[in-house]
Amino acid sequence: VAVSTGSAASGGTLAPEQLERPDQDERSTPDRPWVTIVWNDPINLMSYVTYVFQKLFGYSKEKATALMQDVHYKGRAVVSAGAREQMENDVARLHSAGLWATLQQD
Amino acid sequence: VSAPFRRTAGGIVVRLRPAEAALIAKLADQLLDLLDERAPAAAGPADPLDAMVGLAGPAAEMPQPPPDPVLSRLLPDGYADDAAASAELRRLTESDLVSGKRAAARALRDGLGAEKLPLLDEEQAQLWLGALNDLRLALGTRLEVTEDIPGQLRRLEHNDPRRAGFTLYEWLIEVQATLIDILDRN
Repeated sequence: VAVSTGSAASGGTLAPEQLERPDQDERSTPDRPWVTIVWNDPINLMSYVTYVFQKLFGYSKEKATALMQDVHYKGRAVVSAGAREQMENDVARLHSAGLWATLQQD
Repeated sequence: VSAPFRRTAGGIVVRLRPAEAALIAKLADQLLDLLDERAPAAAGPADPLDAMVGLAGPAAEMPQPPPDPVLSRLLPDGYADDAAASAELRRLTESDLVSGKRAAARALRDGLGAEKLPLLDEEQAQLWLGALNDLRLALGTRLEVTEDIPGQLRRLEHNDPRRAGFTLYEWLIEVQATLIDILDRN
């Protein structure tokens, strides 16, 4: 998230391929929930990311701010969890808002 | 110095100078051109019957992420670790994503291109906000901005043409931040 320096993804927007891969056969275990992850990027503004989390998910300002800070300082945050189709929908809505999001099984 | 947007009782007033409005309109127009490149690929498998009976084929025929870094930033993969699942999700969602981004960019371009700058309601302002963000994603990706723009600028030669891009980028941050602030206070 834009503003300060030195966070995990400060080298620019990382391509998803560059990220660490979990073991392939861990992916499709049916009983583990799916999660939507938002990744840090150097372009989206902190205030914008917080605003988007409130608008898309109905989160309070406090919760949205905490998630934004996780994205910024830890490099990523889990922003929602649930059924795979729901998470695909969340990812599509986040992409529509310009955030960099992926889904995976937790 | 006047802020680029201001909330009034009647709506959100756009207070960009004519040259500023024209500049953003031009960027929005360029974004529309870029998104056009993605329109055919987003249509999915060529033969709908093949798709229906499951003959759409292996990954080779699935929609691939755009090769252009700006487009792949605007239309990213949905899975970090699964190209096939990303392609399938892209097939289902990319055309809506592209048309949503096009609609927002068009609203911004047409509004700023009008004889008299419009008074925005909440919904229009949100559309503009998304389009402004996409403009920054496009320009920022082209410039390969990092979270240390001052450091990047220090490493550029005085006559490097990218300096103008960085200046534009930083100005767009201010423009967008003003609009976020106004929408956030509602």
